This record gives sequence, C-alpha cells and structure tokens, in this order.
Amino acid sequence: MPNDALLDLTISELAPRIAAREVSPVELTEAALARADRLQPQLNSFITLLHDRALERARELEAELADGKYRGPLHGIPIGIKDNLATRGIRSTVGSLVLADNVPDEDARVVTLCEEAGAIMLGKENLEEFAAGATSNNPHYGAVHNPWNLDHIPGGSSGGGGANVAAGVTFASLGTDLGGSVRLPGTFCGVVGLKQTFGRVSQRGLMVTSFNGDHIGPMTRSVADSALVLQAIAGYDPLDPSTVPVPVPDYSEGLGGDLSGLTVGIPSNYFFDEVDSEVEAAVKNAIAALQELGVSAVDVSLPTMEYVGALRAASLSDGVVTHEPYLTSDRDKYGPNVIYRTLAGQFVLGRDYSRAMKVQRLIKEEYARVLQEVDFLVTPTAPVPAPRIDAVDIELGGETHRVRGPGSGFISRNTSPLNGNGLPAITLPCGFSDGGLPIGVQFIGRPFEEGLLFQVASGYEQVSPSKGIRPQV
Amino acid sequence: MGISKETMQAIIREYGGFELSDEELDLVQPEVDGYLEAMAGIADLDLADVMSSRLLRVAEGGTEDA
Repeated sequence: MPNDALLDLTISELAPRIAAREVSPVELTEAALARADRLQPQLNSFITLLHDRALERARELEAELADGKYRGPLHGIPIGIKDNLATRGIRSTVGSLVLADNVPDEDARVVTLCEEAGAIMLGKENLEEFAAGATSNNPHYGAVHNPWNLDHIPGGSSGGGGANVAAGVTFASLGTDLGGSVRLPGTFCGVVGLKQTFGRVSQRGLMVTSFNGDHIGPMTRSVADSALVLQAIAGYDPLDPSTVPVPVPDYSEGLGGDLSGLTVGIPSNYFFDEVDSEVEAAVKNAIAALQELGVSAVDVSLPTMEYVGALRAASLSDGVVTHEPYLTSDRDKYGPNVIYRTLAGQFVLGRDYSRAMKVQRLIKEEYARVLQEVDFLVTPTAPVPAPRIDAVDIELGGETHRVRGPGSGFISRNTSPLNGNGLPAITLPCGFSDGGLPIGVQFIGRPFEEGLLFQVASGYEQVSPSKGIRPQV
Repeated sequence: MGISKETMQAIIREYGGFELSDEELDLVQPEVDGYLEAMAGIADLDLADVMSSRLLRVAEGGTEDA
C-alpha cells in the first residue's frame, strides 16, 4: 500500500501494523506532512506546521519499536493539536493576534498524555479567533475551508482539526468544546467528535478559556479511534480541580456490543424544533436504524430547555473576565466578531449570573431524571448543514439567524446545552444533504458513561449511510 | 426592557476603560439584547431554593467520602 493511502486508514486499522513494524512511523509522518503541505493552500487548517519536530519524534518512536518498545495504539500516529492548547516551546496563538508571539513554557496536560502515548504532533491547528465562534473564519490567520466543499465552513471553533481529520491529514485532532466546538466541526466535516463528561479530561493548559463548561475532546475518523484517544487523555489531574477522580474504564470494551435492550430518548421539545428538513430526515433515519439494531425508542420531554438561553448570561460574564487582561491594552488586535460579543459581558448583572447558575442546576436535574428512564438521548448535532464561508446569516423556517459575531449562537443551539450540564455527547455522520455536505447525529449519555456512548455509536456507525465515504480533496 | 446607548457607553467607558463609537455600540447591542431577552424568559421562575451544582468529589475507586 502506498504511504499516502495509509493516511485514509483509521488508528484502529493502522496500530497493529505499526506494532508489527509493517508500517514505519517515519514514512507515515512524511506522508502526513506531504498531504498537509499539499492541502494547506486549500484548507488553511494549520497555523503552525512542525515538519522537523514531527519527523524527529517519528524517528525516536521508530527506534523504540526497533528496541521492542511499543507504547500502545497511538504509537507513531500523526495528530493535530488546536492552537489554544499550550505547547512547550511552540507558538500557541489561540487564533489571535494578541497572542501571536506567545510561546508557552509548559505543555497542556492532554498534549503531554498524547505524546507519552506515542502520538506525533504534526502542527497547531487553525481555529476561530480565541475559539469564540462556530465558523473557524479567522480574521488573522484566514478562514479554514471544509474538505467536502471548500466554499463552506468546517464548523468551529476547532475547524482546523475537523478539516484535517476529514481530509486524512491527521488521524486524530484534539479540539476544545465550550458550546459545540468539537462536535460542530465533527458534524460539518463528517467525522466523529466527542465532548466527554465535564471533569473526565484535564483542562490544564487550555488557554483563554471560560470558567464554566469548556472541554478538550478528540475528533477522529471512527468511533473506535475516539475511544482510543479518550483512553489516552482521560483521568484525574491533581493539578486541575475541575477533574473528577473516578476510575477510567476500558473504552474499547463495549465497541460492537449488542444494542438490544437499550432505550433511546427522543426529545419532544427544543432539539427538533428548529431543524433543516434534510437534517431532520437524516437523524430520523438514524433513529430508525437504531431501532433495527434492537434499541427501543421513546419520546422524552425536557421542559427546562425553555430556559436554556439564560446560561448565556454566565458565558457572557465569563467571557469578559477571561479577556480582561487584553481588552484594554490590545483591543485593536481583536477582530470584530469576538470583541463586540465579549464586551457585551460587561452588562451582565451579578444577580443574573446567579440565576443562570441556578437554571443550569435545574437543567442538570431534569437530564438526570430523564436519563434514569432511558439509556441515552438522540438529537441532530447542528440544525443545518455547514453554511457557506461568506454567509453572515442563514434562513430557516422563515427566520433569519446570524452565523457569526454578536447575536450568533443558532448553529450551536443543540450542542451548547450539553456544555451547561456537563453530560457526555458524541457526534457521528448520519448522511448527506442534497448538496453533498455531511450531517451529524448526536448521542448524549449519563455522566462518565462514555463507554456506553461508544457502544451505541459504533453500532450505528456500521449501518450509517456515511460509512466509508470520504471527501475528495 | 433595554439598555440605552448612553448607559452602555458610560458603563464601558467608566468600567471598561475605553470609548466605543455609536457604530461599535450597535455591534454590541445584539448580544446585550439576547441576554436581556433570555433573562426576561426566566423572570417568573422561582429559583430561591435551587441548590448549588458544585461537583462532588469521589476518591479513585472509592466511595463518596472524599
């Protein structure tokens, strides 16, 4: 098999061949860098490519194999890292001009864990400015383009990672998800995106983040690969008080397991209320496919979703505090979308912040109750397929919704509630629009039950109409 | 309920430390309006007795005693 063709395999397919020394980490990394160089002018998915560093690391890992040392399934696997995750000695811009020359002196915890597992960092991936938006149309480093159609957004904010995984540049990319920023690139780029339970993965080294609800999660080309990456990065971090010391199970254990006897809840309100007809049809087909796999489906009601918009008060306040060090001194370095969204946080009253936190609690309680009755929930991941890069607004059901900047948030309406309640959620492809753009379905589980989500998602993955279809770039 | 441009301008100037033009205030306005609309939506919600959602700690492999 030519080295370039290896890039279209999954980690699960490739790992045994690396372990058996049939595939060379050096040749694999050379192929990945060559594809990255070829596609960078089209996708603009990297802010910094690390040719020399990646190849040096690949040589070290290849030498380890020769010495009989095999670190596990990520050994020798090229991955991407979103540029808001700190990397020691490597520029980490957060997609901003403010931090254009920022070189951290410490790696993010997840970067350390991936490298200890043998992954090879190809580069730092492009994103929305300060990871604050869903388009990855970065005013300073240029727009990231969707590999399925270069005129469309890849989703955001982790758009570089989504584009790279879909295009076979990386086998996995680590993104961050504060309102859907892993799952939206997942759905728009036709890959698997995971936001695990809040507290499952250390956030240490996640830069310019919000106080409340950010998550670091993987984008991959298969559910099995998502499980492998989570296995590497999950766990308690005594230096990150947001992590929770619960045991990390074997996430691959349930893959391919029988789904009969499980019950899926279909929200009868909110999640399907404002959805493009093609998206709705694809997700309904996914539900039917789950039923054919033996899953029982019941309608569930989530009345507190009526109040979910109140959580915006908290995120606005958190945003302005996060940006406080830069807002005065570096205001001129901000793009218009982020600065004017951020400044709005100054008007949030403390009383409203407290009310938002209490609403968050009510929503958490409601999901906890519902998830006693069903094993998982199913929703569309995004209400629409990927909008065009030049779109300012989109029309749906006779209403106009902003895609970027102040007043936007429609695209993330189905993903952001899970950041508020901290529940694990995974998106995977479930078909295509008539225009050939991927559509994603989202499964939501109980806290720390990522293993069940992987079992369900891997079962559906085998019958998904998206199975085996990749973008031609 | 809304916040006037004059009030917004004063808060940003006095509290944030810099001026915004009328055109810039117009760009901030949609986000502020969204916030106010969301809070109006929970105005009648009785939240007085809602408890904290602070994380509970569980010892590795253990029980709820940590």
